[in-house]
Amino acid sequence: MASAVSARKNVSGPTIPPAVLKAMLAIFLFIIVPVALSWIGGGYLFQVATTTLIFIILASSLNLVTGTAGLLSLGHAGFYGIGAYAAALLSTRLGLSFLATLPLAGVAAGAVGVLVALPTMRLVSIYFAVATLGIGEMIYVILLNWTGFTHGPMGIRGIPPIDLLGWQPGTPLFDYLVVAAVTALSLWAMSRLMHSYYGNALRAVREDDQCADAMGLNVVRLKIEAFGVSCFFAGIAGALFCHTAGFISPDQFRFAESINILAMVVVGGLGSLPGAVIGAALLIILPEALRSFGDFRMIAIGSIMFLSILLQPKGLLGEASALDLLRRQFGQGWSGNFATRVGWR
Amino acid sequence: MMNERLLEIRGVTHLFDGLTAVNSVTTHVAHNELVGLIGPNGAGKTTLFNLISGFITPSEGEIRFAGRSLAGMKPHRIARLGIGRTFQNLRILPNMTVFDNVSIGALAAFGHTPWQALAGGGGTVSRRISELTRDVLDQVALSDQAGVLAANLSYGRRKYLEIARALATRPKLLILDEPAAGLNDTETTELADFIVGLVSQGITVLLVEHRMSLVMSICHRVIVLASGSKIADADPATVQRDPVVLESYLGTGE
Repeated sequence: MASAVSARKNVSGPTIPPAVLKAMLAIFLFIIVPVALSWIGGGYLFQVATTTLIFIILASSLNLVTGTAGLLSLGHAGFYGIGAYAAALLSTRLGLSFLATLPLAGVAAGAVGVLVALPTMRLVSIYFAVATLGIGEMIYVILLNWTGFTHGPMGIRGIPPIDLLGWQPGTPLFDYLVVAAVTALSLWAMSRLMHSYYGNALRAVREDDQCADAMGLNVVRLKIEAFGVSCFFAGIAGALFCHTAGFISPDQFRFAESINILAMVVVGGLGSLPGAVIGAALLIILPEALRSFGDFRMIAIGSIMFLSILLQPKGLLGEASALDLLRRQFGQGWSGNFATRVGWR
Repeated sequence: MMNERLLEIRGVTHLFDGLTAVNSVTTHVAHNELVGLIGPNGAGKTTLFNLISGFITPSEGEIRFAGRSLAGMKPHRIARLGIGRTFQNLRILPNMTVFDNVSIGALAAFGHTPWQALAGGGGTVSRRISELTRDVLDQVALSDQAGVLAANLSYGRRKYLEIARALATRPKLLILDEPAAGLNDTETTELADFIVGLVSQGITVLLVEHRMSLVMSICHRVIVLASGSKIADADPATVQRDPVVLESYLGTGE
């Protein structure tokens, strides 16, 4: 493990010892940011910070499946929605507290993820991407039309804010600190998964799944596991979102949001956890910062994404090029033996 | 030792859309034997390799490895039974380091779960994977390039990287698909010595190769395929004198 990680690290010049880096990140996340935001003053800034953290979880969980394992998923927002609705319904209908709804939301999204993965993982590359696109939209349509259960387009209102064992201050600072703690834990877990031999197995699946198969890796099982774990963390992000926003509706979990999360991963760099974090921060904070430019800000953001793909194909910190991944996804359908490349394997 | 059969191929036929790629081939590889598989282009050599490693399933016939039928087994299960392979067109994992490439073989040999990863890198499984990976890298003299991205390796070194990755699965049988393709004479001699070294360590090797000199100098036995059928199966000296082989293969190309 140590050498597997260090081998990769020596790409970027002098390295800071991991323990020091972790301590610095913790001080930044739990002390500098809240103090600075309180000093500038404003619940709104805390909301932006909390949203950023939630999208950091979403981007890094999508990065695990798309960046590390190389499975292009276009329905991540759907699993985010499952987590949000699971937590919202469990707390509004059954009165469960945050400490119960948070893991259950993750489990609900993860379980649906595994169920979806079981039949679709045998689909080859681009067909899998299209299947996830369909599943994301299916989840949206179910949330929209199952009005008896989800209140349909009206959404769910009055979701209780985050509480810890009955203690419910409901202040933006408290929400931020809890979300930051959950984000830190999630990132720690995903970092362990990625920077291990298990992560190497997922990378091998991304680079050449047939070859990984010939080396003795159970590729289908690895893909299902990676997808399940990724959906679990999307569900966790959903729970955080519903408890901090207090209101959710189906249109918050549509295809556009999936693409938004995918853009964060691509800008940050496929397969890089710090990349996903930076990509998420960039694509949440930038639109907020450019709010005064009105609709022009979307042009600015679009240009940033376009240029980043053009000039920096591996993203800011990525290990694989997004264009390569996409080219391979499409390429396989048109080259080689059709019988083995198309549809089911 | 030599008389016990590690790999048995019994009447294996494979059809690609009605085209017979491999036609009722029966042969075997004994324990610790070094067998060469030769034949003109399109003779079905790579198809036979893909049949053995489970990428395609035979239309007829049976393949047995160490006494077990491989029928219906997925490639990863066959690999774990002890068949390691390389590919004709190098299939290294380009965006991963040399070390990580080889660790793929090793981690399949020891198993791996997400829980082990979450528990951190200190476990015995991780340590064993690291040790095995380092041992194999030493064996192929790639230790000093362990941290290099595989894509940045020279062509000749990539060949050894592929073999190292297959060796890290701790195979009983190593099947090499044209390992000397694209190598110069010096490199080919080095490779021949390396393969002979593997066999002396107890690994059984089945080798597809175009270079006659390599096959004839190191193999204990040579199997000749032509148009999907086996036309000879004997020691190198006999094969070189076989009139059928001379006519269909040696006489034309070389």
